Amino acid sequence: MNKIMYLEFERCIGCRACQAACRECGDHDAKERNYVEHVDFMESRQTFPMMCMQCKDPACARVCPANAIQITEEGVVLSASEEKCIGCRNCTFGCPFGIPKFDFEANKMYKCDMCYDRSKHDIAPMCASVCPSDAIRFIDFDEMQSLRRRRTQLNLVEGKKPTEQDKWKYVPEFFGVYSD
Amino acid sequence: MTEFLAKPGVKNLHNKGEKLITTHCSYCGMQCGMHIRVSERTGEIKGVEPRYDWPVTLGKLCPKGVTAYQQIDHPDRIKRPLIKKKGKFVESSWEEALSLIERKFTEIQGKHGKDALSVFGGVSMTNEKCYLVGKYARVALGTRFIDYNGRFCMSSAAGGFMKTFGLDRGSTLPWTELEHSDCFLMAGSNTAECHPTSIQMFWKARDKGAKMIVIDPRETPTARIADVHLDLKPGTDSALANGLLHLIIKEGYVDQEYVDERCNNFEELKASVEEFTPEHTASITGVAPEKIIKAAHIYGRSPRSVVMFARGAEQQSKGVDNVTLYSSLALLRGQIGKFASGVATFTGQGNGQGGREHGQKSDLLPGYRKLTDPEAVKYISKVWGIAPEEMPKPGVSAYEMFDEIHNGTIKAMHVICSNPAVSSPNVEYIWEGFKKLDFLVVNDFFLSETAEFADVVLPTTTWAEDEGTTTNLEGRVIRIRKAIEPLHESKTDWQILSEIAARLGRGKYFPYKNPREIFEEFRIATKGGKADYSGITYERIDKEDGVFWPCPSEDHPGTPTMFKESFGTPDGKANLPAVGWEEPGEVPTKEFPLRLTTGRVVFHYLSGNQTRRIDFLKDQCPEPYAEMHPELASQYNMSDGEMIRLSTPRSTMELEVKLTKATRKDIVFVPYHWGKELSVNKLTNPSLDPVSRMPEFKVCSVKIEKL
Repeated sequence: MNKIMYLEFERCIGCRACQAACRECGDHDAKERNYVEHVDFMESRQTFPMMCMQCKDPACARVCPANAIQITEEGVVLSASEEKCIGCRNCTFGCPFGIPKFDFEANKMYKCDMCYDRSKHDIAPMCASVCPSDAIRFIDFDEMQSLRRRRTQLNLVEGKKPTEQDKWKYVPEFFGVYSD
Repeated sequence: MTEFLAKPGVKNLHNKGEKLITTHCSYCGMQCGMHIRVSERTGEIKGVEPRYDWPVTLGKLCPKGVTAYQQIDHPDRIKRPLIKKKGKFVESSWEEALSLIERKFTEIQGKHGKDALSVFGGVSMTNEKCYLVGKYARVALGTRFIDYNGRFCMSSAAGGFMKTFGLDRGSTLPWTELEHSDCFLMAGSNTAECHPTSIQMFWKARDKGAKMIVIDPRETPTARIADVHLDLKPGTDSALANGLLHLIIKEGYVDQEYVDERCNNFEELKASVEEFTPEHTASITGVAPEKIIKAAHIYGRSPRSVVMFARGAEQQSKGVDNVTLYSSLALLRGQIGKFASGVATFTGQGNGQGGREHGQKSDLLPGYRKLTDPEAVKYISKVWGIAPEEMPKPGVSAYEMFDEIHNGTIKAMHVICSNPAVSSPNVEYIWEGFKKLDFLVVNDFFLSETAEFADVVLPTTTWAEDEGTTTNLEGRVIRIRKAIEPLHESKTDWQILSEIAARLGRGKYFPYKNPREIFEEFRIATKGGKADYSGITYERIDKEDGVFWPCPSEDHPGTPTMFKESFGTPDGKANLPAVGWEEPGEVPTKEFPLRLTTGRVVFHYLSGNQTRRIDFLKDQCPEPYAEMHPELASQYNMSDGEMIRLSTPRSTMELEVKLTKATRKDIVFVPYHWGKELSVNKLTNPSLDPVSRMPEFKVCSVKIEKL
């Protein structure tokens, strides 16, 4: 995989196309695995998307007693294998970002796998493909770097200091996030 | 014929055993490119694949677009013709249904004359079908009463453009240029929700430093990202536009050379905006004067700017005035006919542009010809093979057709691709009208609220079961492909119209075997008209990523940028307006002290007949609500989630309250996509624009009561 998932929260328009599209991915069983939330609808219409950031040493996989959550050679943290998942929900509690979802009928967890059948061929995952506002993108590393530099420039112009926040050290190289 | 188009180097996920059919979305005027996934073995629809290489939308889709394919094989599809017997729909054969229509139509016309029949069309269908609806009304039925749902959508924009530029093409520039603009002035458009895939263009421009000025009473997701948000009172657009024009002139931002050379009426405009000082404008619109001044400076200083508007400004009894005034902001700055600048309206319906040009309007013939022009009547009569005397005279607008029903002039109606029982203003009047009709035929693929009133419902195909062309909001003519054969016993609208025509003895005028034959006739019909499609072919559309009209010959490149040298008026000059401000049709009173405005949400399309049936979309927004500011709510001792009653002079309805500070403190907003008891159009005001006959959906006076 030569591309990077890149999020720009403030671009989100709350249309939830990413969620509708997530259901369309062949392996997703018509269940969306991502999130779109209002920050606070009373105050503003700002929304933001959130999905699995494919941790380097993922807590969900680590706490799985059945070893059901596999990690691909590229580092994509797959949804639990159906045969192995025992429905204990450790992963949903273990994830620091609250990403894995749980299907109470099937008694199985399910989570974002970055549309692995697409992304392994460098085809954008469904959410990034359709996002009308480019809040979610699947782009080259160089493009991400230039976007980040541009952001820093703008922040300097506007008097904001760029900050480094520790939480992003969990995020692997193929997943970029920009946040003020 | 190639069904799958992809440019070299573009990667799509091509599942084994599936083929991809390249087409466009069924919904709004963006007409986003998409591929539909179809099983090679069974021919079933499997889903959607982004069309990354469609130059306008680059694979982006909104949630309606992503789920559009779910309409096709939907359990709610009407499978066979329905005939109402003893108040209940009974499935019947096509033979029985068409015989009944033949008998009733003949009987009614025999008894009450030709004009006792009427046709209510729509523009969420291909050019081929829209063209045929006009021909069907005039040649097969011979009635003058035909109009269409664009009267509730695009007619003010069309009226304004005709007045100002002498030609109505929704956008004077191709939208692929938008990312190069320096400033967008958007009035009455929540494009982030109503045309979501356009937002990428604005973001791209903003990343390069472009500014956005958004004029909207609510701080919508579009207004949220604006540099200046002019939060005006609903119904005060013409005052605000006059105020901005006042400042553009006063501050010396006028491109005098352009205005002198290309515009009429500048002195009159100058005189009429004189009184609209920032303070005066602020007192009418409720927008702070500093914000008006800031917006005027940003707009005035931008080298390349685009003025855009949508239903917010257009669906008013002064809709045409609003359009002419906003358009003249671009004219004064000399922006029209140049790169990355101009004027555009956000076309609501899929084929709102193409569908309004080719004879569904009560006074128009194909190619944007006027029915009142004897030369036009002569030409079209020749194309159709009828005598010019046979051509019916102009009828009345959509809402006024219901006046004619109440008067007893119209006895029967054929509704095609429309749902006026939800989308008209003052819908209870419309419902009464439907009940008064002797005979109502509705073509639809889902049983809409309108179809429920019908005597006969004819099952049509969805957009993916037929081919043809549409014209997107840029004016680009594009191709819709057939993904599967018609399901159940459904037939395409053009087949249905042709069969009815044949039964009425007019079959020789409708000899079509496929949409391409209609397109070929339609090309000839548009030749020499203002909207000239005669140089466009299906093959050119595929090869050239769509062709922009006017395109008068096959070696003509099409016209992406309009009005480069001259305008469409007789003298080639644009007409600047000189109109003041007038109150909307209804102003707040003691009894109805607030303003109600209506609009859309991102999850639904128009009357919701399609989107309310799609699980994902229904789950996101199952019911309408009354959105208001918490300060307003607290005056009535109401909190979030409580039920209230809204009343206007026409009717009342009950709704849940949704509170947000991202709106004005003196308005109530309700989305309009639902029918019956949930229809906010029970409350809206049918005050019509004098030119476009557009009802005033966007402003009326309302009273709130806590339940």
